[in-house]
Amino acid sequence: MARGKRKTASSALTRRAFLKGVGIGSGAIGAGLLAAEPPHRPAPAKAAGATLGPGPVALGLKVNGQTQTVRVEPRVTLLDVLRDRLDLTGTKKICDRGECGGCAVLLDGRPVYSCMMLALDARGRSITTIEGIAPKSGLHPLQQAFIDRDALQCGFCTPGFVIASKALLDRNPRPDLDQVRETLGGHICRCGTYPRIFEAVLSVGGRGRPADT
Amino acid sequence: MASRRTIKIGLDGGSRDVEVQVPEGEPPIWDAAARLRVVGQPVRRLDGAAKVTGTARYTYDISLPGMLYGKILRSPHPHARILSIDATRASKLAGVKTVIVFDRPDYFGKLENSEDSGHPMESDAGGSEGPKKRRIRFAGEEVAAVAATTPEIAEDALELIDVRYEPLPHVVDLEEARRPGAPKVYPQGNLAPPSVGEQGNVETGFKAADAVVEGTYTTPVALHNALETHGAVARWDGGKLTVWASTQGVFGFRDDLAKFFNLPAASVRVQSDFLGGGFGAKFGAGVVGVVAALLAKKAQAPVKLMLDRQEENLATGNRPSSVQWIRIGAKRDGTLTAIHLKSHGTGGIAGGAGVSGPVRMFYSCPNVRTEEQDVFTNAGFAMPFRAPGFPQGSFALESALDELSDRLGLDPLDLRKKNYVEQKGKVLMQEYDQAAKAIGWSRRRPPSAVPANGEIRRGLGMGTAAWGMYGGPPADATVRISSDGKVECVCGTQDIGTGTRTAMAIVTAEVLGLKPDQVHVVLGDTATGMYSPASGGSVTLTSILPAVRSAAEGARRKLLEAAAPGLGAQPEDLDLKDGRIVTSSGGRSVGFAQAAARLKSAVISAQASRVDNYKGMGGESWGAQFAEVEVDTATGQVRVLKIAAAHDAGRTINRLTAESQINGGVIMALSYALLEQRVMDGPTGIVMNPNLEDYKIAGPMEMPEIVPIMVDASDVANNIGVKGLGEPPIVPTAAAIANAVSNAIGVRVRDLPISPDRVLALLGKVKEV
Repeated sequence: MARGKRKTASSALTRRAFLKGVGIGSGAIGAGLLAAEPPHRPAPAKAAGATLGPGPVALGLKVNGQTQTVRVEPRVTLLDVLRDRLDLTGTKKICDRGECGGCAVLLDGRPVYSCMMLALDARGRSITTIEGIAPKSGLHPLQQAFIDRDALQCGFCTPGFVIASKALLDRNPRPDLDQVRETLGGHICRCGTYPRIFEAVLSVGGRGRPADT
Repeated sequence: MASRRTIKIGLDGGSRDVEVQVPEGEPPIWDAAARLRVVGQPVRRLDGAAKVTGTARYTYDISLPGMLYGKILRSPHPHARILSIDATRASKLAGVKTVIVFDRPDYFGKLENSEDSGHPMESDAGGSEGPKKRRIRFAGEEVAAVAATTPEIAEDALELIDVRYEPLPHVVDLEEARRPGAPKVYPQGNLAPPSVGEQGNVETGFKAADAVVEGTYTTPVALHNALETHGAVARWDGGKLTVWASTQGVFGFRDDLAKFFNLPAASVRVQSDFLGGGFGAKFGAGVVGVVAALLAKKAQAPVKLMLDRQEENLATGNRPSSVQWIRIGAKRDGTLTAIHLKSHGTGGIAGGAGVSGPVRMFYSCPNVRTEEQDVFTNAGFAMPFRAPGFPQGSFALESALDELSDRLGLDPLDLRKKNYVEQKGKVLMQEYDQAAKAIGWSRRRPPSAVPANGEIRRGLGMGTAAWGMYGGPPADATVRISSDGKVECVCGTQDIGTGTRTAMAIVTAEVLGLKPDQVHVVLGDTATGMYSPASGGSVTLTSILPAVRSAAEGARRKLLEAAAPGLGAQPEDLDLKDGRIVTSSGGRSVGFAQAAARLKSAVISAQASRVDNYKGMGGESWGAQFAEVEVDTATGQVRVLKIAAAHDAGRTINRLTAESQINGGVIMALSYALLEQRVMDGPTGIVMNPNLEDYKIAGPMEMPEIVPIMVDASDVANNIGVKGLGEPPIVPTAAAIANAVSNAIGVRVRDLPISPDRVLALLGKVKEV
C-alpha cells in the first residue's frame, strides 16, 4: 500500500486503541511536560453506557469559553471539528499524526495535539485555540513578542508555537533557553524561525510574570 | 530610449562612481549615496497580527457555502498499467457527489508540456501497450478522485474504488537504474542525454597543477515539506473559474488552468492571500489544481482539495539526489588550474539533477569541465527546491577545496580569496571577513592539530554562496491615493512568507513620506491585473519593487501637483515627509490626509511596469558562511554550535525579515546536512518515510546559535538596487558544516546526511553502511 494510514472507521478505532495503549491519552506535547505531570486520561467515549456511532452524533464542546454543539461521526478528531465544523482555522492541520505541533490547543490549560484526540474525548473539557489567546482588545504579550522579534515567516506553524509557549509561561514564568527549546521540541517550522521564537518567548518570560488570558 | 547616469556603487566609505545605461523615465536611482528613512530599517511584518492570532486565511482555511471535500486515490505500485477502474461502489456511497477516474493515458497531457507541472516528460500514449491503458510510473501517482460532503466520506469512498493493475518491473535505485537491462521508466530508457560544459582545457590545467585532489560525494533526495500541503479550493460560476490555491505563482497557476480548460485567462481567477510555505514545489496548477477544478465542475459545487502529508511527500516534488566525482588542481599558492565535475542523480520520473552551478560560478578557474546526467527512476518527480542544484554542487566543490587547502597547507579562507571572481560592486570579500570574525576563524587549526576534549572534538568550516540575478520584467504595480487618505499598493504577486507584503509597503511609504503600516497592500490575486512572476529563484522583490517604486513616484507626483496651488508653490519645490507635504523652504506644509481630502477626484492612481535591468550590472547575490561543530566520537553525533552567515541582497529592504530569511536558509540547510533523506524500499518501490516523523527535519533541539549579517549596497541593476535573498542562504551551509566535521575528526565527509552511523564509519568504529 502506498497509503499507509487512512482515517477510515476502522483505523480511527485503531488510533484510539493506540492512544490508550501508550497512556498518552490527550496527546500531551513535550517531553518536559510529560515528565512534570502525569498524563491526563481522556473521558470514556461512551455516553450513558450507549455505544456511539458510526453515524453522526451530537457533541457539545466548550471552545474559547463558549459551548457549541456539532454533529459529527465519533471517529472525527478534535482538530477536524475545530477546523471543518467550527471554522476555527487558526489551528493548523500539517501532519495529522502528532509529529509537528501545528494543531496544538490548550485542553484545561495544557497543550495537546488536537489531531491525536477524538473530539468526543474533549467533551466536558475547556478547549482554548489560538483564536482564544488574545484579550478582548489587543494582543497577548507573547503574540506581540512574536511580531516584534519576527518569530514567524509564512506563519503556518505560528499558532502551534504560540499555544505551546503560552502553556510553558503559564506554568513556568521564567524559563531558560534550554527549557524553551525542550518545551517546543515537538514543533516543526519549515521556514526556520526557531531562534527568533526562542527570543520572543524569553523576552516575555523575562518579565517574570505569567501570561494572562 | 536610454540615458547614461552616474551612480555610486559599493559600501559606505568604499563606494565609487560608475556609469550605467538607464531606460527613459526611471526615477532617481537609490544608489549607495541615497539616504532613505524607511527602506533598510527593521520593520515588523504588516500581517504579523493576522498570523499570531490565527485569523490569517490560508487556502487550507477557505470554506465556501455548499463546499465539498476532494480526495485523490493513488497507485500503490511504482510501475504498472491500469487495466480497469470501477468506481460504481464509490459513486453509490451516501454523501459522494462525484468520482473521476484517470484512466486515459493522456489525462494530464496538457499539463505535461508545462515545465512547472511536475510531469515534464511526454507520456508514452500510443506506445507498445496500446493507446487505452494508462501507465503508472511511481507509487503515489494519481488514479482517481472523489468529492463528497465530508472529508471522512471522501476517504471512505477511495476504498470503494476498484482498480485492476498490471504491475510492471520497477527500479527506484539510482545505480540500478543506470545498468543495462534495468526496467525502463520511459520507453527511451532511464538515461537522459548528458549535459556537458567546457571552458579551457582541463587536461592542460591538471598538467599545470602542483596538487590535485579528487573524490566522490553523494547527496540524498530531499523533500520540500512546506507545512501547508499542496491544494486548492475551486468554484465555477458558469464559465468562470475562481480558485484559491497554495501556490508560489498565482499567474502561472491561472495560465495552466486556462489552458487545461480552454478558457481565456480572464475567465480564471487565482487567489493566494496567505501561503503556508513554498520552497519551489508550488509552481503551476499541477495535478492538484486541475483535479480540484475538475471535481468542482463535475459536481457543480465548490470543492476543496488539500493533500495530506503522505501525499505531499510522494507526489509534489523533491530535490534530486546526486553522485558527484570532482577533481581539482591548483598551484602551490592555491591558484586553481582545473576543475572537472562528473555527476549524475535522480529526480524520479523528472529531470533536474544538475549540480554544476557552483563549479561554473563561484571561483576563478581557467579550465572547467562539467558532465551531468539525469537518471530516471520509478519515484516521485523533482521540482525546483530552493537554489536548485546549488546545495548539492556546493557540498562537493567546497569539500574538495577544503581538502585541497589541507593538502597545500593553506588556510581554506585564503584559498577562496586567492581565486576570487572580481565583479563590479561585489562585496563578498567583506562578507568573508565579517563572517570569519563572527565565528572566530583564527582559532581554526589543521585537522591534525585539533584538540580533543575527551571524546568530543570541535571543528570549523566554511563555504561560499552565490546566486544569479533572475528578476526583471514583466511586473506591474499600481499605487492609489484615495480622498479619504487611504493609500493602496497593488500587485498580484504572492507573499510566500518572505515578507513581500511588508516590502511593498516599505517602498511605497518611503516615496510618500508615510509609515509602512499606513500603506494597505493588495496582493495574491490575479484579478488585480498587476502581473508578477512566480516567487522562486529569488526574483520577487527584484522584479516587483522597482515597479512599485515607479508607481508610487507617479502617485506622489500627482498628489504634489494637486497640492501645489494651495501651498503657493511649484510641485517640484514640494517634498513628502513624516506624513506631511512641505515646501522646500520649510515655510508651509499640509498634512497628507488633508491634501488627499482636497483632491478633485475620489482617487488618484499611477501604474508602472518593471523596466529592463540596467546594463553592465551583474546583479548576483553573494555570501559566506562559517560553521563550528562539535562531534561526539563515541556516538557519532554532530552538533552544530554556531553558524555565522554574511549575505548581500543589494539594498536591504527590511533588515528584520532579511535576517529571518538568512536564518531560514541556514536552518533548512542544516537539516539537509545532518538529517534529511527520502528512503525508498527497493523490492516494493515505495517511499518508507513520507511523514514528518521518519523524514527528519531539524527542530528546536538542533538549533545552533546563528549570526545573520546583512551586508548592504553593492551594485545597482534597478531603481532600488534590490537583489534576491531567497536562495543564497541555503547554498553553503551543508558544505560549511561538512568541512567543520572533517576538520574536527580529520577524515573527509563525502556523504550527506552526516548521520551518526556515517561519522562512526568515518572514524573506523563501525563498518560502512
